[in-house]
Amino acid sequence: MRSSFLVCYDICDDKRLRQVFKTLRGWGDHLQYSVFECQLTPADLITLRGQLKAIIHQDEDQVLFINLGPSEGRGDRVIEALGQPYCRMDSPCLIV
Amino acid sequence: MIRISDIQSADELLPARMLNEFVYCPRLFYLEHVDGLFAHNSDTLEGAARHSRVDAKSDALPTAQEAVQCESIHARSVTLSSEQYGLIAKLDLIEAEGDLATPVDYKRGAPKSLDDGSLGAWDPDRIQLCVQALVLRENGYRCDEGILFYWATRQRVRITIDDALVAETLAIVAAARRLMDARQIPAPLVNSPKCPRCSLVSICLPDETSHCRAYVACEQSEQTQPGGRWVQPLLFDVGYPAANSESIESAPVRQLITSRDERRPLYLNTQGNHVGISAQVLKIKEKDKLIQEVRLNDLCQVNIFGNIQLTTQAIGALMTADIPVVYFSYGGWFHGMTQSVGLKNILWRREQFRQADSNRFCLQLAKQLVKGKIRNQRTLLMRNHVEPPEQALQFLKALTIEVRRAESLAELLGVEGLAARVYFEHFNGMIKVGSDDDRPRQQNGKHEFRFDFERRNRRPPRDPINALLSLGYSLLAKDLTIAATSVGLDPFLGFYHQPRFGRPALALDLMEPFRPLIVDSAVLSAINQRMVTISDFVVVGDAVALTANGRKGFFRAYEQRMDQLVTHPLFGYRVSYRRLLEVQTRLLARQLMGEILEYPVFETR
Ligand code: SF4
Repeated sequence: MRSSFLVCYDICDDKRLRQVFKTLRGWGDHLQYSVFECQLTPADLITLRGQLKAIIHQDEDQVLFINLGPSEGRGDRVIEALGQPYCRMDSPCLIV
Repeated sequence: MIRISDIQSADELLPARMLNEFVYCPRLFYLEHVDGLFAHNSDTLEGAARHSRVDAKSDALPTAQEAVQCESIHARSVTLSSEQYGLIAKLDLIEAEGDLATPVDYKRGAPKSLDDGSLGAWDPDRIQLCVQALVLRENGYRCDEGILFYWATRQRVRITIDDALVAETLAIVAAARRLMDARQIPAPLVNSPKCPRCSLVSICLPDETSHCRAYVACEQSEQTQPGGRWVQPLLFDVGYPAANSESIESAPVRQLITSRDERRPLYLNTQGNHVGISAQVLKIKEKDKLIQEVRLNDLCQVNIFGNIQLTTQAIGALMTADIPVVYFSYGGWFHGMTQSVGLKNILWRREQFRQADSNRFCLQLAKQLVKGKIRNQRTLLMRNHVEPPEQALQFLKALTIEVRRAESLAELLGVEGLAARVYFEHFNGMIKVGSDDDRPRQQNGKHEFRFDFERRNRRPPRDPINALLSLGYSLLAKDLTIAATSVGLDPFLGFYHQPRFGRPALALDLMEPFRPLIVDSAVLSAINQRMVTISDFVVVGDAVALTANGRKGFFRAYEQRMDQLVTHPLFGYRVSYRRLLEVQTRLLARQLMGEILEYPVFETR
């Protein structure tokens, strides 16, 4: 079962920042500067954590995982946007 | 130096890790090491992550003679073997004082708490540690005890390597070897708390398999069939132990698999698009303009319709991520697919080929499939028809009995054809957009359409509904081809559908009972809910085809159906149709391997 996470980061070095950004792009949507929203299974979370751990410097940088609960049926209940709209893709497939 | 990690013949040595699994569950050991199946779950991933840190650097262990000169030794990630017992072990850490060595093994999880409240080790871990001690001893070290370090509580448990433990370990080594030679998969554990934590649970299907084993195949009995007792004859053909007719008490089936697939299919439908990849994200471009980005992590399959370019790098990344790429013609014919290597369970395919040669097996399975299909067609009519046609329903019911009597595939084909005719005669009654609310429009001399169905025609489809049905069956054949492949069966060798060049016969077999439930039902929703409308069709030559937009609408209808949860009639839990296809395909593999006697066809209630 997937859960939604807000992943927020504060990285002190430009190179590591780019690496963290690039890694997170593979896992979720870039919501705002330094904030991603990711739908992760427990296994995904472990893998992602491992990938980020390998990039960041433990004593300078920080990554926060904020668990918003199960993705399914979450709808737009937990995030409310002012200004630019926030929308969530819920369809069972992607068609381009 | 006694590192042998580079030696090829290490294959024949039994790794300590495998014995750990054998003790945990012999079936797990068998699935992983005889069938070559592997899957990660959170536990194994976490373990792998921990180990990659421990293993980051592997040390050389001095020989025991050299070690005597040293004060103390700390060697990490050392691989050693024992010729005498045919064992090999990777040791996380060896602490040695002179030639007295102590292996330290890191385990995720917590130690076992014993009855008296003290800490103990889990059996699989004890045995694995003992194997490590044995290989150390054979390499000249003395080894009297080992240590298990449990990450979750950061606690160490000391284990004395005494004669009793060595004897127990050697007995287990012998049992594991016997199992490998026997080539007979052990039965699943019954109602065991180990299963929910097992990484192979969705491959093993322990409760489902037990439930389907109305008969137990356990004793090695001879070929004679005592009067009246029905024994599946096929098992004898391939030298399997016979089934006896004792039924086992079946425990309730726990839902140990997730009800939905976590990942989604991607459909690429816009002609001329170009797909590349950068950092695990597919970049879909039209001309040079980026129109969409799609993460590999979100995908379970990529479907390509017609003229779309995929770079080699993108294909490579998809294969690495184990995501199949499926190719269709622009018109929707399923052409083929690209998939990663990596399926090792060749024994299953061998069984598939053997069974396909047995007429009895083919007929038995085909009957199940056709019966299921007719029942499901009947159910669909009952549920969706504006005025369910009593006579037709009765007739369909009679035909399911007729199926049981069929004595050849040809006869069965006849019954199936008859049922299809009756069913499709009434198909129109399930379409609820009357010609009133969807008047066919005469568009300056262009063809005039209406959603009006007379009979099924396919090559080519000559009306909108047939066009939708054809596309839908193509998609379903694709999904079952993927399911068969990912389970490890050959999609091109069927039992009911005979082999023909380029035809995924097994996928066609498996899809029979699902045609009405998934495709026909998706076609009905597409039309009835106006996801596809009359203006989405065009005439191409003598065929009716969907426009790009119409196709999009239908993909959505089809995938919505696939995503819908449905209760499994045998197991009582709810899964999506997409998941269900995989479960059913795995059950077929169970039957091929002789574990269950009859393929339980999916029928909705
Ligand atoms: S799911 Fe249960 S029975 Fe199946 S391999 Fe794992 S532990 Fe053994």
